[in-house]
Formats: sequence, C-alpha cells, structure tokens
Amino acid sequence: MKPMEEIVRFPPTIIPETFEWGNYLHTIQAFPFFRYMRNTLLITTFVVAGNVLSNSFIAYGFAKIDFPGKNILFALVLATMMVPGFVTMIPQYILFTRIGWVGTYLPLIVPSFFGSAFFIFLMRQFYMSVSNELIEAAKIDGANHLYIWSRLMLPLTKPALITVGIMSFNGAWNDFLGPLLYITREERYTLQIGLQSFQNQSTTQWNYLMAGATLVMIPTVLLFFFAQKYFISGMDLTGGTKG
Amino acid sequence: MKAVEEQSQFKKAVSEVRQLRKKKWSPSQKKEAMWGLLFVSPFIIGFLGFMFLPMMFSFIGSFTNYNITSRMDFIGLTNFRRMFTQDELFTTSLYNTAYYVIFNVPLTAIGSVFLAVLLNRQIRGIRLFRTIFYLPAVLSGVAVYVLWMQLLSPSTGLINTILSWVGISGPSWLFDPQWTKPALIIMRLWSVGGAMLLYLATLQNVPKQLYESAEVDGAGFTRQFFHITLPMITPIIFYDVVTSTIGAFQIFQEAYVMTEGGTGGPANSLLFYNLHMWNQAFVAYNMGYAMAMSMILFLIVLTLTFINLKLAPRWVHY
Amino acid sequence: MGMKNNKTGLYKLAALTATPLILAACGNGNSDAEDTSNPGSEGASGEQVELEFWSFWGSGPRRDTIEAIIEDFNETNDTITVEYVYQPWGDIWTKALAAIAGGNAPDVIVQDINSVRQRADANQATNLQAFIDEEDISGEFYPQLWETVLFEDEAYAVPFNTDTQVLFYNLDAFEEAGLDPDSPPATWDELEEMARALDQESGESWEQIGFYPRWNIGADVWTLNADGGTSWFDEEGNVAINTPEKVDALEWMLDWQDYYGRDTITQYEAEFGSGVADPFISGLVAMRGQNINYYTNLRENAPDDFRFGVAPLPEREEGSGNWSWGGGFVLEIPENTSHPEESYEFIRYLTSTDVQERFGMNSFDIMANVEANENLADNTELDERAQMIYDMANQNLEQTVITPVPLNAPDYLSLVNTQIDAAFLGEKTAEEALEDAQNSVENLVEQHQ
Repeated sequence: MKPMEEIVRFPPTIIPETFEWGNYLHTIQAFPFFRYMRNTLLITTFVVAGNVLSNSFIAYGFAKIDFPGKNILFALVLATMMVPGFVTMIPQYILFTRIGWVGTYLPLIVPSFFGSAFFIFLMRQFYMSVSNELIEAAKIDGANHLYIWSRLMLPLTKPALITVGIMSFNGAWNDFLGPLLYITREERYTLQIGLQSFQNQSTTQWNYLMAGATLVMIPTVLLFFFAQKYFISGMDLTGGTKG
Repeated sequence: MKAVEEQSQFKKAVSEVRQLRKKKWSPSQKKEAMWGLLFVSPFIIGFLGFMFLPMMFSFIGSFTNYNITSRMDFIGLTNFRRMFTQDELFTTSLYNTAYYVIFNVPLTAIGSVFLAVLLNRQIRGIRLFRTIFYLPAVLSGVAVYVLWMQLLSPSTGLINTILSWVGISGPSWLFDPQWTKPALIIMRLWSVGGAMLLYLATLQNVPKQLYESAEVDGAGFTRQFFHITLPMITPIIFYDVVTSTIGAFQIFQEAYVMTEGGTGGPANSLLFYNLHMWNQAFVAYNMGYAMAMSMILFLIVLTLTFINLKLAPRWVHY
Repeated sequence: MGMKNNKTGLYKLAALTATPLILAACGNGNSDAEDTSNPGSEGASGEQVELEFWSFWGSGPRRDTIEAIIEDFNETNDTITVEYVYQPWGDIWTKALAAIAGGNAPDVIVQDINSVRQRADANQATNLQAFIDEEDISGEFYPQLWETVLFEDEAYAVPFNTDTQVLFYNLDAFEEAGLDPDSPPATWDELEEMARALDQESGESWEQIGFYPRWNIGADVWTLNADGGTSWFDEEGNVAINTPEKVDALEWMLDWQDYYGRDTITQYEAEFGSGVADPFISGLVAMRGQNINYYTNLRENAPDDFRFGVAPLPEREEGSGNWSWGGGFVLEIPENTSHPEESYEFIRYLTSTDVQERFGMNSFDIMANVEANENLADNTELDERAQMIYDMANQNLEQTVITPVPLNAPDYLSLVNTQIDAAFLGEKTAEEALEDAQNSVENLVEQHQ
C-alpha cells in the first residue's frame, strides 16, 4: 500500500504516510490478473468439489464399515503423508507426461477426486465420533451404506465438510508448485505464478508484490468469514453423537 | 525397538491377509466387505494411479546414484553409509528438525485448542474476531517473511519493543543461531488459526446438554473444559498431533524463504531436513541421495506415528 | 567420459514401466491434453518451425524489451517463430529440470551461468560445439564468461548477460566529510580511512555508517578479492579455502565487525536483511560494495537529486589487484529437443551485438557481448549515469572472476558459510574457521568421488 520511495526508507514507517491505491491498479495491470483469477478459481472449484466428495466417501468406509484389510489400507493412507513430496515430484511429473496430462489442469484436479490422506484421516476422525446406533437403526430400516452416507452422514458432519472445503480451497488457491510444473502456457497461469513476476534477479518490486499478495488473499478470508455461519447451523444434531 | 514395532506391524498385516483367505465369511459379512471396498476404492485407484509408481521409484532410487537426467546405477547402501558417516549436514539438519518438531507440535496443538475454545462463543462480532485470528494462517510466502523480519528486528521490532517494556532485552532472533529456531517456532505459532478451524468445527459437535447439566452441578469453566470439552475433542487432537508431527518433520517453505533460497541461515541453524534434501536433489542433483534421505525420514515418521497410534486408545475417546 | 549417454537399463525400465500401468489405471486422459512438447512442424528446411523460449523476465522493462526483440525476430525470419513464455524467477530451473526429465523441455532456456558444466555433465544441455566450430563466436564475449560454458572443451551454452561487484558511494556524503568525490578508495587502507571520515556516531546509534564490508556482498567476494581472484576452489579445482590471504581477509572483516560492534551490525542487518528498506538510499550507509545492477534500484527508487559514484572494489594492498566477482545468465538448448539448429539461430540472434545493445539499453543489464557494452558506454541515448555504469562494468570485468559450481562438490557452500558464521559469532578465529571449512569441503569432495 506504500509507495516504493517510502518502502525503501529507513527507519521503516509502520503506518504508511501516503496510501497509494495506484499500487493495486498497477498490480492488476502488470499481469492478466482477472484471467489468472478465473483460472485459479476454475482449478480451485474442482479441487474443492473433489476433496469434499471423495474424502468423506472414503473416510466413511474406513470409519464405519468392517472389511478385511482395512488396517493395512489405512496404514497406507497414513504412509502417503510421510513421503516427502520432493522425491516423488520428478517421477510423478514423468508419469503425467507419459499420460499426456502435462499442459492441462488435469494433474492439479484429478488426484483430488481420489482422496487425500490428510482429509481422509480428518473425516475418519469425525465419523468415528458419530454413534453407530444411528447407522444400525438405518440399516434395520433397510438403508444401504450409500444411502446412510449421503442422507445421514453428510448432513451430520457439515462442519467437518466445510472445514475440508475451506482447507482445500486454501491449498488449491495458494498452490504454487503444482501450477508451476504442470501449466505450460502463460494464459493458463494462476495468481500465485503471476505474483512472482514482481521478483527477478536484481530487484523485487515490493510495493506491487505486497499489493498483489493482499488482493490474492481476500477470497480466502472472505470464504472463512462467511463459511462460519454454516459451521454453527450444522450443529443441532447433538443427539446423533456419542455422549 | 524400531525393528520390533515394524515386525509386529508386519505380523498384524500378515494375519489380516490370512484372515482374508481362511476365514469363512457369512453372506452379510461379504456384502459388508464389498461395501467397504467400494467406499475406499477411490483411494486405492488414486494410490495405484498417481502415487505407487513414484513411491516405488524413489525407493529404488535410494539405492542408486540417480541424478535425474543421466545416471541411475545401483550403488547398494552407499547413500545410507554416507549419510551416517560422512555428511556433516545430515546430522545438523536432523537435529534442527527434531528441535523444531519437539516445540512446534505441542505448542501449536495447545495454542489452537485454546484459541478455538476462546472463540467458540456467541457474542457480537465473534465472526470478525475469528477471521482476524485465522488471517495469519492464509498469509503466505514472501509477504510473511518481510513482515516477520520487521516484527523480529532486534532494535525496532515490535516483539523486542514489547519485551523491553517489561525490562527484557530481547535477542537478535533471526541473526543469532541460538534464536533462529525459536523465532521460527513463534512465527508458526502465529498461524495456529488453521488448526483452530478444525477445533472450532469439532466443538460444534459437543452436545450442549453436557454443559447445561454441568452448570447445574456447579462446575466452573475450568472443570467444564477438562471434563467435557477436552475429552470430546480428543479424536481431533489426536488427528492434529499425528498430522502436525508428520508435517513438522517436513518443514521447508518457511526456512527456504527465510534463508534466501535454502542456504540454511546463520551457522546452518535453519537447515532443516527437507531443506538439506532439497539442496541435495536440486542443487547438487544427488537425487539418489535425497531419495535415501527421504527413506530415513519415512522410517522416523512411521515409527513416531506408530507410537502415536499405539498410545491413542489410552486418551482418545470416540 | 564414460558416463555420458550411459542411461542404464534400470533408468529406462523405471521410466518405461510408468506408462502401461498408468494407462491401465486411468483410461484415456488424453482427451483435452494440449500439445506440450515442441509445438509446430518438423524442422525440415523451408518449413515453419515454432520455438518455445523460457525466461524469468515477468514484468517491467526486461519483459517488454525481450518481447519486442522476439517480435522483430519473428518478422524478419521466414521459417522460425519464437514464442516467449515467462517462468517465475528461481523456480524456472526446477520446472526446467522436470521438463527435461519428462522429455518435454522448451527449445531455449535462460539458465544460470554458474551451473552450465553441471548440466552438461548430467546430459541436460545440448552440445553446441558443432555450431561454434562453424563460426567461432567465443571472441565476442568476455573470456571468463565463455570459460564457464565449456565442459570438456566443448560449448554447451552461450553467455547472455553478466554482472560484477563494485563499490557504490554517496557523493553528497563524500563532500560533507571533506573527501574528494573524484577519488574513491583504491585500497583497503584508504577504504578504512575514508569510512572513518564518513562515520557519524550520535550517542549510542549511528547517523551514518561509512562502510561495512559484509553488507550486500559476502565474505566470499572479499576473500577472492584478497587472494588474487582465487575463489574457494583454485583453477585446478583444488580446495583453496585456508590460504593466508583469505585468512587475512577474514580477519580484516572481523575487525570491521569489532569496530561497529556485533550488535550494531546485527541490528542493521535485521532492519535491511529482507531487502525492502534501503540504507544507501536513506543515506545511512555512505559506501557499499554491491552488484552493479543495483543501479536499476537506484534509478527506480532513489530521489532524483540522489548523487552517487561507482568504483572498482578496493584492492587489499597496492598491486594485489581490484579483483571482483560476477555472475550472469546464459542461453541453453535442453538436450533432446527437436530443433537445435533453429534454436541456435535464435540464440545467435539474442547474443549478437545489436540485440545485446538493445536489451542492455532498456534493462540496464550488463551484457555478455563486449562490443555491446562498449557501445552502451558511449550511447548518447542513455543518460550520463547509465553510460558511467557501462563504462565501469567494462573496466571492472577485466578483473572479475566467475565461480562456476565445482562438479566435485556442488553443495559445498553451506559448509563454508557455517564456519564463516562461527568466526563472526566469535566462536572461532579466522584461521580456525577457514581451516575447518577447508577440511569439511575436502571431506565433501571425497564423498562425491
């Protein structure tokens, strides 16, 4: 928000003396801001949808259904979190190259429809605290698991679903490495990549970088602010949880 | 000890496989099992499709001199031997990371529970308050770094200024190897808003009647917290501890930005495990070595997670 | 070297097994995949060839200039069309590495000059020697730059731009202190003398700090300056860390720290470390050693009436030489791309004198082409200061050393830095620190053998 001449000054001014709204204008014009925002939003929407759906689905299986091999599989879920991303990054890139996905949004979007360990584990914990009696009762009424999951569990765990939604929104919205690697054309770039254009070998345009970072952050903050309402309304189901 | 645990884990897996084969399943059990597999099938497909090969590749790579583009020869256990006998920075990075994990995990867990309980009430403007506390969790990248450089500045920074009011002369934080890690831990603590979100969501599931009846019994806030709130949110505390332990071992981004491209900070005091691994992989092209390092990290984290899982029944109430 | 082109069976196997399994698991993912690898037609003569060119010039004058240059190239060239793609600074090389490993690299990349040999050694860059043999262009560039692109005597890149460390000094501060603005310090002794004259202490804090060696350039530059231009590795590739000259230089730097006090130094480093606030522009620091491209910051951020001069880094003692250190960027063709000839033609265009001059004029980068810099120093379209910068650069590059990443210890730097940090923290003497660093790095060299 400060003009560059004030930014480089010493001692630094805590509250800017002159608000330079022009920084925001310049930031928006320095790269195709709205196009990148649309791209980011497109990716994010799919990722959020994928994560909310797949993880609650998978987690239900782990939490509420007995089947052989469950412990091994769950250990595998946890194990996928423990391998640092750097060492699998290149092999994964090669893999996506082979199936022709590099240059598309598919490597960024598709995996989220197959669950992510952090969210599976999280949803599992939420489901674990939901009483089994409820499920048994539904079964006696002739409901199958698909029905129980979609009609009973989803509404019951709304706060958890919203949490997963918010977290995966943030993850996708702020993702840098994924878009960096897999997007090949500039017109398909995301906001986080656009922001980097203010940094180069000798100078960083701090004023624009900061203005840009602020602009990019706004949607995530707004989302949290408004999503809270649904947190609170999702809780009148205390009868369904274990005492 | 590690070996024993792995063995018992292994035995469990084996017996599960045996069960799979031997046990006669009643039709209803079979049906139930089919449902279970259906529900977890997306994970299995995703795992086989996107993760299995890269993971196998890294596993195999850890026994080679893989340099990403031209070399991949088997060199046996050379990478591992080098790690434990020659590489000075391996030990440094392991120490730095352990230091960080030990403080970061409990502090952020306590901090976020505290914050969530504090902000879980219905008063005017609470949504704004929550948003303010959540804000740091979504701030990221260079902007945060610049902000903290200013906050932690020895002479004019806010933190040392406040300390000086109570007569403490603050350290020079990011410039003193003794204080760089505490500085980073404080920085991370500042963004507990992310975990707060989890706890806020969980607290919504605590039955109100419990508090009501507790109040009738005359239990104060502290007793309510320890006897109702805390036990009710243990599943998520458990989740938080397990995942943040895994996450803390992989700390990278902050240190990478703070040390201007992964140089490790003053006296390598911020050279974390993943930072060292990154430098090996992408600066020196010793990808095979980096893969070997990742195997060791995997084993460490696996062991800790296993201990966590073993201890869970003692304190987690579902 | 037997290693080259020796992709082992295992490597191939691992890469190949990926394909069928994944295809089985995922069905056809190809539907809306776009062509990522080298779009355009075959490289047969007469036909259209499209090239993809990556660099990190994302916004501002560099980007505008490179786009204009490419446009001109495309207009005048019938068969080649170049498409410019911006990639984020720093991360461009991670992406490039992945793309090369995945076999869909772009045709030309702007790469770091210090790691050319590393990439040549790892089969990441195309050998350009055949083109150089046809027309030897090596003489157009500063010799030390050309030296960096050679691996086993063959060229793998062409230098594009460069930089060098110089001394910036505040003219107003010089005049106020009664110093002659036309004679900046030439030796370390003079530097110290003038710094004392420029120092202004008020109570416990400083109004003006004459000079502090470790701000903006590191101990590596001053040790190199002291040691006749020899970096941590000598010309034969031997570890040369604990030489008497370097120990001397480190002691000299420690003296500066003692003079101002470690706390003072740390405080200011904390203030300015992020690079956001600028103590030179603020007038707090009167002289500082810095990369010559700092000039662009001064142009953009300093008030119009801010007056400064540039000089070579002072020499340790008369006759030891004003050795300085530099870096820069090169143009490279990744290995296994489909149009190396056309790509080289484009590289040749970008490194030709006229184009180099044009890029420099708009970006104020120091170019790799000697003649381009000489022209820029006399170019009347530039203002006097800019001409002065190019003149200085030209002069300074005669004593500027480039320090490519040593192949036998590419990751040595943090080992040296730890020891130097220990010296500045008062835990070790200069001699002990460099001795320990010498041993550490020698040990590392052994590990890589």
